[in-house]
Amino acid sequence: MLTAGPAKKVTIYVGEDHKYHGRTVYSAILDFLFYRGVSGASVLRGVAGFGADHHMHTARVEVLTGNLPIKIEFIESPQKVEELLPKLHEMVGSGLIELQDTMVVKPSEASKKGASRPSVPALRREGKAKLMRIFIGENDKWHDKPLYKALVESMRANDIAGVTVYQGILGYGANRRIHKDSALHLSHDRPMMLSVVDTEQKLRAFFAILDAMVQQGLVVLSDIDVIRYTHDYSEGERRKEARP
Amino acid sequence: MKLEGKATMLRIHFGESDRWQDQPLYRAIVEKCRELDLAGATVFRGVEGYGASTLIRRSHLLSFSSDAPIMVSVIDAEDKVQKLLPFLDEMVAQGLVAISPVEVIKYVHQHGQRC
Repeated sequence: MLTAGPAKKVTIYVGEDHKYHGRTVYSAILDFLFYRGVSGASVLRGVAGFGADHHMHTARVEVLTGNLPIKIEFIESPQKVEELLPKLHEMVGSGLIELQDTMVVKPSEASKKGASRPSVPALRREGKAKLMRIFIGENDKWHDKPLYKALVESMRANDIAGVTVYQGILGYGANRRIHKDSALHLSHDRPMMLSVVDTEQKLRAFFAILDAMVQQGLVVLSDIDVIRYTHDYSEGERRKEARP
Repeated sequence: MKLEGKATMLRIHFGESDRWQDQPLYRAIVEKCRELDLAGATVFRGVEGYGASTLIRRSHLLSFSSDAPIMVSVIDAEDKVQKLLPFLDEMVAQGLVAISPVEVIKYVHQHGQRC
């Protein structure tokens, strides 16, 4: 968050049509600033101007060349600006970057609506875990229920930390049958993959159940490092109400 | 076919519109895997992403000209997977190929016999 005191003001001049990796430079820069946590930035479009190429750019209707000048401005702390400059340098291409010393008299405040959300920082937990991938077919059944659905329910019931089901578009496996999602025949036996993450101990305990349920398919296990972001539930205790 | 214990997982990332000899690249890769008698291959279509070409690939609901990210996952013994690599070198012009070790827990055929 920007605080009152000395700061830097950065002004970037580019052309409206200038491109950076297939998109306009100004939107790429704005996104970059946004995701790098800059406290605010504005994009202004000029009416007319000329730059390094000494070519006049105007918005007059009779001259449809376009490529109007664009000015991007933001104010940040000197350290932050220092961090951002190398990448900005690369992004502007033929554009111009100007840096000014400035003084923040009063920093802007986030609107009340945003402030009402508790700003509890996410807890970061790291550790070793296992990732299990289960490859089955969409039409595989378990007690008249789609197998992938039954597996998810069974994992939930067995307190497995989390599972995600992915639907493939093409594939073949243990039985050499090609599973295909074809627009012409609606047979729909697409390959499905379940990705499950938990500790090795909990996954191994689940193998017996898995063995009984999966009649054909492939199950593989790999080592992973978990980097998990969770919220501190101590305030609202949302977890309690989520668990019936 | 037999597959147990230590195995290798190969993942290939590229775009849906990538082609190889007049057919979608992902189909060509799956066919090559079958030809090489690899245990299995699965193709997944992503919703959004960016990669080697750093363009955002997005599948729009309205436009059919989508270039969604595609991931092909292949699992087999390491020596079998290695056989596929020279072909991938040739076929994947722009994309990412990654290998990781996996442990096979279960690999079963249609009639439920274990291998």
